[in-house]
Amino acid sequence: MALDLIFIVRTLVFPGFLFLLVLVLFFDWLERKIAARFQNRMGPSYTGPFGILQPIADYIKLFSKEDITPKQTNKLLFVAAPILAFSLFVFALFFIPIDGSNVILGSSFEGDLILVLLLVTLANFGIFLSGWASLNPYSGIGATRVLTQFLGYDIPLIILALGPAFLARSLSIVDITASQTLPFALVMPWCCVLFFLVLQAELEKTPFDIPHAETEIVGGYETEYSGRKLAFIKLSEDFQFLIGASLVTVLFLGGAHGPVLFGMPELWHVFWFMVKTIGVVFLLEYIGNVAARLRIDQVVNGNWELLIPLSVLSLALTVIVEPLLRLVIG
Amino acid sequence: MEMFETAVKVLRNNLADAILELTVPRPRKAYILLKPERHRDAVSLILKHVEDAELSTISGVDLGNEIELNYHMACGGTVTLKNRVSREKPVTRTITDILPGANLYEREVFDLLGVTFEGHPNLERLMLPENWPKGDYPLRRDWEPPTNPENESYSEETLQTESAVEQDDADSIVNIVMGPQHPVLHEPERFTFKVDGETVVDAEMRLGYVHRGIEKAAERMMYFQDVFLVERICGICNAAHTTVFCQAVEDIGNIETPSRALYLRTIIHELNRVHSHLLLLGVAGHLLGFEALFQHVWRDREPIMDMVEQITGNRLMSGFNTIGGVRRDITPSSIEKTLKTVKAVRKRAAFYKNVFEEDATLRLRTEGVGVLSKDDALKFCVVGPVLRGSGVASDVRKDDPYAAYGEIPFNVICYKECDTWARLMVRVEEVLESLDIIEYALGHLPSGRLRVRVQRKIPEGEAVNRVEAPRGELIHYVKSDGTAYPYRVKVRSPTLANLVSFPEIIRGSYIADIPSVIGSFDPCFSCTDRMVFLDAQNGKKWRWSLDEVNDQKP
Repeated sequence: MALDLIFIVRTLVFPGFLFLLVLVLFFDWLERKIAARFQNRMGPSYTGPFGILQPIADYIKLFSKEDITPKQTNKLLFVAAPILAFSLFVFALFFIPIDGSNVILGSSFEGDLILVLLLVTLANFGIFLSGWASLNPYSGIGATRVLTQFLGYDIPLIILALGPAFLARSLSIVDITASQTLPFALVMPWCCVLFFLVLQAELEKTPFDIPHAETEIVGGYETEYSGRKLAFIKLSEDFQFLIGASLVTVLFLGGAHGPVLFGMPELWHVFWFMVKTIGVVFLLEYIGNVAARLRIDQVVNGNWELLIPLSVLSLALTVIVEPLLRLVIG
Repeated sequence: MEMFETAVKVLRNNLADAILELTVPRPRKAYILLKPERHRDAVSLILKHVEDAELSTISGVDLGNEIELNYHMACGGTVTLKNRVSREKPVTRTITDILPGANLYEREVFDLLGVTFEGHPNLERLMLPENWPKGDYPLRRDWEPPTNPENESYSEETLQTESAVEQDDADSIVNIVMGPQHPVLHEPERFTFKVDGETVVDAEMRLGYVHRGIEKAAERMMYFQDVFLVERICGICNAAHTTVFCQAVEDIGNIETPSRALYLRTIIHELNRVHSHLLLLGVAGHLLGFEALFQHVWRDREPIMDMVEQITGNRLMSGFNTIGGVRRDITPSSIEKTLKTVKAVRKRAAFYKNVFEEDATLRLRTEGVGVLSKDDALKFCVVGPVLRGSGVASDVRKDDPYAAYGEIPFNVICYKECDTWARLMVRVEEVLESLDIIEYALGHLPSGRLRVRVQRKIPEGEAVNRVEAPRGELIHYVKSDGTAYPYRVKVRSPTLANLVSFPEIIRGSYIADIPSVIGSFDPCFSCTDRMVFLDAQNGKKWRWSLDEVNDQKP
């Protein structure tokens, strides 16, 4: 019984659904604030202290808006796709050890890194389907762009994620974080830098925000969406952003591990995880704000001609210098 | 300037049999009345003998029993070739085969004055809505706007609206409609792109969504009132419109404008150019997905707006120029503040020049995109930064100096790359150049009167005048019949001149290039659509109930 209570609390409240939701909204705010400061603007500043409640206000507004399903769409797909994408992203986050262990205790297993990456890929299919089901030329182009871009960049992302796994001799995220006595970002910076770049493309941030380039294709895949369904799509995007940032944290920055000074180690874990992820978010936003949007052909060529060979090379380098690296991390 | 003399000499020598009357009332302005149907020979002669000659526009004037077509050829000055056609049977030969750039101008005359051009490739409506009654030509003198539009029997045909998706013969080709409402456009206009995957196969455009009938309205107002009317053609380049209109009227009335007024006009004109170019550079950043650039440029544009307000009293619509001079003097403290601002903005503009030159992603997106070769640019008669980005150093301020430009040293910026990047760079450097002009003009401001008193009645005559608006050559043609009301005012804004080439450029590019190419043209559609009287009351076809909208099949 007691065990069940822990299970329910961990899944629904902390560090499960509710906590993740708050975290996602916080990062949404942070992202907007950072972008605004880069652009010489204020950013959200009216709702709550420093406008921190703005994302909540936005989602409440979206949820209360009229929800239109255009006549010509495939209704089932149109409704199901955003929910599917959202659920898959949330599920994927359950395997990220935010307070040192997975959301569902003991669910960590050898290979959950692969599972997380798979879930993210599947969720992106959901996003693709949402655009495809809209039967709108803007959505259609946006959806095909998601597929072209995402599927291309998934390959180098997975190859690069194998670097830390190789060094930790494990495919379990918890083991990878635990084995980082020295953050892998310092041990193999080449891998980390490439991972950052590829992640930027995976998260569809500038200069890779092609699938929803508003001056070209209005809203991209989400053009026909409104109200609750749009809220789910937006939430999925926010969750994907959090997954991306936390993947860097767990794979390269030692995850939730850090000095525990006093009190409950779980809280310190959460603290270190947050600090590291905020740093990652800052860097991602930085890249996003100093570049213009690339074109789909440039992005696709850049992937196949540059990033895939480079990621293979970086993995090869990791394998070759592994004995040396092992001396460093001890 | 020599170009102009060559043009007149060539016409005089080779076409003596066709010239009925040739006058050069003012320097670099010639008016040549030709025998009917000889305009084609004259246009080809000028194109053959004068380098970089272009057609500025065609202005049609209803003379009562004849319709006069004025072909304004830009060649150093302006040579106006007059071809008269009868009003009963208004038919003439097209010149689009000689000069494709005449396409839209002929359509405009066809639309508004009912002159048919034989041999024109697609002589269709340009400005008026599709359900405008046939045989109703608003720019003819006897046309009256319907007093009670509700009772008029306007045709009930609904406008053919294309749905967003339209399958073509080939399965993979999809029509993408951008506009009248689309994030890339800041004003309503419709572009239909046929795309195959990510490649644009063809493009069509439909103008005329923001008609206000300004040309017709100008005939019903007195000259001094018209100054404020033409100012409202375009907010961004309002100083250009008032300057050119005042100059045209001053030309007809032989009015000497005091030199202090000329300098002040120049200063406002250049401040206009600076903030217009900065606006466009910001928009270009936005269109290319570079939001940070967009926000920064627009913030740096603000001090310029403040200076315009300081000098003219208004932030945007300056209301500064008037016939015979300017309406407000500049104070010594404003001069000081303006000089300070100029210095600060120059620093920022130099920084942006560096950004546009160095930033890798910007160059990736703009270099080699939307190429308009020099020959094509001249063929399609494009103007302004678009022309200068294609390697033609043509600038009205240099070629046909007006206001104080004859006395101010400055460079004409010209890039030979012919692409979007070149068109943007021309604007960046012109900002720097304009700031220098402002500084020079403020330093050499002559003392004296601000304006001369002008009679309300302007003597009979006609004048064509050009200025270099921020977007390119802006031309006004004014005809006076000796009353206080103009007989005809014709406006050709730079965007109309540039739009002809757009479908040609965009063919074969990527969808992602559409915004950047549109942006590099700096289109201003409210300038372009201004000629027609269109009462919102009889715009019946727009009023669909929500159900009707929903019933539009995909």
